Amino acid sequence: MMKTFTDIYQILRHKNRKQYALLSGCLLFSVLLIASYSAMMRSPTVLTVLPEGGDSRRQVMMIFVLTMMGCAVFSLYAAGLFLRQKSRDMGIFLALGMERRTLTRILTRELCALTGVSCLLGMVLSLPITLGIWGLFRLLLVDTEEMALSIDPQAYLLPLAYSVVMTGLLFLLAVRSLRRIDVMEIIRERHTSEPIHDIPRWYGAGGIFLLIAGFLLGYQAPAFFVLALHWYPPEGLAAIFYAPAFAGLYMILLHTVVNGWHKKKSVYKDIIATSQMKFEGRQTVRNLLVMSLLIAGAYFASFYTPMLGIGSLLSFDQRPMDYVYRFRMDQSIPELEAVQELAKQYDVAVTDWDSAVMLRLAVDGSAHVETETSLGTTWESVYYDMVRSDLFLRESDYNAITGEKLHLAPGALAAVFDSEGACISSGSFDGSVSSLVTNPLTGRTLPVTSVTDIVNDTLCGHYIMSDADYEQMREGLTPEWKEKLCLFNVENCEESYAFAKALFHAIVDASDSSVALLDGWDPVIKMRTEASGEAYFLDPDQLAAHNFEPIDYDLRDSSNFRMYWLYMPRFRVLDKADFVKTTAVFTMTFVFIALVCFAAVFIIAYTRSMTLAINGRQLYGDLRRLGACDAYLLRTVRSQLKRVFLTPAVIGTGAIYALYAMIMFFNDNRLSQGELLGMAACLLLIAAVSGLFYGFYRRTLRKVCGLLDIHPAAK
Amino acid sequence: MLQVSELQKSYQVGKNRYEVLKGVSFTVEDGEFVAVMGPSGSGKTTLLNCISRYIPVDAGQIKLGRTDLAALPEEALARVRNRDLGFVFQDFLLLDGLTVQQNILLPAIIGGTISDQTEEQALNMGAVFGISHIMNKYPAEISGGEKQRTAVARALINHPQLILADEPTGNLDSKSSRAVIDSFEQARTSLLATIFMVTHDSFAASFCDRVIILRDGIVVKTLVKGNRPRIAFQDELLDTIKELGR
Repeated sequence: MMKTFTDIYQILRHKNRKQYALLSGCLLFSVLLIASYSAMMRSPTVLTVLPEGGDSRRQVMMIFVLTMMGCAVFSLYAAGLFLRQKSRDMGIFLALGMERRTLTRILTRELCALTGVSCLLGMVLSLPITLGIWGLFRLLLVDTEEMALSIDPQAYLLPLAYSVVMTGLLFLLAVRSLRRIDVMEIIRERHTSEPIHDIPRWYGAGGIFLLIAGFLLGYQAPAFFVLALHWYPPEGLAAIFYAPAFAGLYMILLHTVVNGWHKKKSVYKDIIATSQMKFEGRQTVRNLLVMSLLIAGAYFASFYTPMLGIGSLLSFDQRPMDYVYRFRMDQSIPELEAVQELAKQYDVAVTDWDSAVMLRLAVDGSAHVETETSLGTTWESVYYDMVRSDLFLRESDYNAITGEKLHLAPGALAAVFDSEGACISSGSFDGSVSSLVTNPLTGRTLPVTSVTDIVNDTLCGHYIMSDADYEQMREGLTPEWKEKLCLFNVENCEESYAFAKALFHAIVDASDSSVALLDGWDPVIKMRTEASGEAYFLDPDQLAAHNFEPIDYDLRDSSNFRMYWLYMPRFRVLDKADFVKTTAVFTMTFVFIALVCFAAVFIIAYTRSMTLAINGRQLYGDLRRLGACDAYLLRTVRSQLKRVFLTPAVIGTGAIYALYAMIMFFNDNRLSQGELLGMAACLLLIAAVSGLFYGFYRRTLRKVCGLLDIHPAAK
Repeated sequence: MLQVSELQKSYQVGKNRYEVLKGVSFTVEDGEFVAVMGPSGSGKTTLLNCISRYIPVDAGQIKLGRTDLAALPEEALARVRNRDLGFVFQDFLLLDGLTVQQNILLPAIIGGTISDQTEEQALNMGAVFGISHIMNKYPAEISGGEKQRTAVARALINHPQLILADEPTGNLDSKSSRAVIDSFEQARTSLLATIFMVTHDSFAASFCDRVIILRDGIVVKTLVKGNRPRIAFQDELLDTIKELGR
């Protein structure tokens, strides 16, 4: 027989074990998600391919913060639910003479233990789960050497901090719930609602306007600061300009929950669901907001793979030549004879061989000179005769390679772009030389009379000059300032992978350490920087200090090497076949993030739906007593759940898709074919995820109907 | 036993302040069975919640014996609630996770006074109130009347000076109501309990020695049963309520 209060408490704990399991499960799951995310994000494997300060790292961090917020919201929500369920028992204890202090001590101690154990378990489980999911990726999707996931123990500091904060917050919630003077209020807690007052109908349209305005402002603000004010704003400042978008999102959700988008005449059709949602208002809107943001974050991460994949695969197919490579002329790199010899070994027939020597010359132009001020970094544009270098082709070589009949007068230049109007393969090239080309070794200059833009997908990223100018400017240039461009096709290109790989290895093996350079490295900028007494940050010995990974010939299959080596050959069959491997870590990181975010969304949607069911149990009983049939009750439940699932899905998906399209468009004020196809692929992805979400909604609906004793068969 | 003087209580709802009790005064003597009646919104339940200090009071005195409950600190108040007061609520407020017997024993367990004797006493109460056969059942498995009789037994387990009952028959059918009233009668006669009951049920109130009539937060009348038959007292109660409604 029980003798103490502890015995009573144990019995009640056992009886209410489902409430404990829900809270414990939510805490465990949130820590599991955060720890897995953190372990993956802090893993040296991932950090290596997401450079510090880079957009990818920033995006991963942004979505991580979103996930943390989402996890915190559903954990606190579960805690609130737990305390509300427990409130009646606690109130009865107080009413029967239990000391508030004793009760608070028991409850907080219990919550701390529950939180501690759940969080610890979440952290422990995250390790096998992270490694397991990553291992599955490697097994089922792609496996490379650099995909081996290593875990940094420091990654657990974040989930640990999260656990401590959650424990503290739960402690405060528990104390607050018992500190109320009114005992009857504690007893009746379970039945209290959180209504929202009337919301004007213009909130819907106003919200949409603010959402769009926020996206435009947030996206354009950094460019405005940099271009108009010559000021690099501190990290995070530009993010403030996205604030109207969040306000807009909140207003849209408020309008959806309180007013709905139906016209007045159909108000009575949905009166129960609308009023119920309204009276659960604040929590519902908060939940929907977090869900919308998480869905947006999850899609943002998911879009990475189709956008990158389709754009790249399309660009591989659009290349006019199968094999293109270039090398500095002080290197002994295989040329026609050696290439043909190698091709013979692999039974590959080389056709259409061509080559040309290009000059690396300095061009004039303006560079940003930055100054540190108390308000941050400002810049001014300074003109230099030799601002950077570009590669120059002889007019006759260009005509021979392309079959065109370009004729340039002395002093005239042609800037070659690809058919998309850019040149992805040559990052710094912008065709903006204004008036002067200089031989950096002799100082001989060529005043430029005109620059014409021409299109060629093979030779894009270079300048063409007349043969006479070329000969004059070549004088005095050493082999380090000349590069040879080799191009050829092969018969049955798709079957020449082994040859392509062997040639790639041969080129890398023949390159010495002086050309182990990142693609941004420029000898003219180096000269200019060193002349001012500073070290050039892209020099191999400076890279570590700036958190860049150096080019390592031993890691020639790594993404860093394939994406950033200055002399990386462009072999269609190799690039195409190795594309998935090259981008594997990026892709898998974003897929992982998307999984975590979607999992959080599913959990929030489920707990919210269950809460609506629990809180509405009395109401549904009353409706039944008033004569409501199962079909009516089912329609009401469905209407409520639809808002929980559909509202954030539509808003989150629509907003992120629009934002993504806007980013793609404003990159170069147009949408390329690759981008359009990528966006179409994203739509397919949205359809697939939405299908999954719908399935989960149906399952939750069945569960809620079961809880409310509504039989779906009645529909 | 219980002396309430100039009790005041108001609620703030938005910008409006509603005075619910406007200086209520009365006494309840040892062993008395007293009811408070009045129309909805007259302040009956608020009065009971103020006496038990479940809600804070604005002004006035609530003396239980020599102790002023209105001025009592939290810890001492908890002790008084546990040892000197017993509560019966309209919606029973039994713990769903505990059996009938465990619910009855709860105040003794909270007060740390449980012993073999207390357990025996709980069984005796079960017999007195006709709930022996359900002692091992859970609240979800018993009827409303049985729940309320369990609540009465729970209110009596620590031999309190005063039982406070809020609409104890409010949720019950006539048979169950009668059973609960019988259990109060039993408690009074067998256990010498003093009972203060809020009710709108003239039938339940007609068993009391005295009925205080409350309207708009003030005591408007006190009716004494005396030696009259119960039916006659009930008639007077009905006439008074009818009068109040005019």
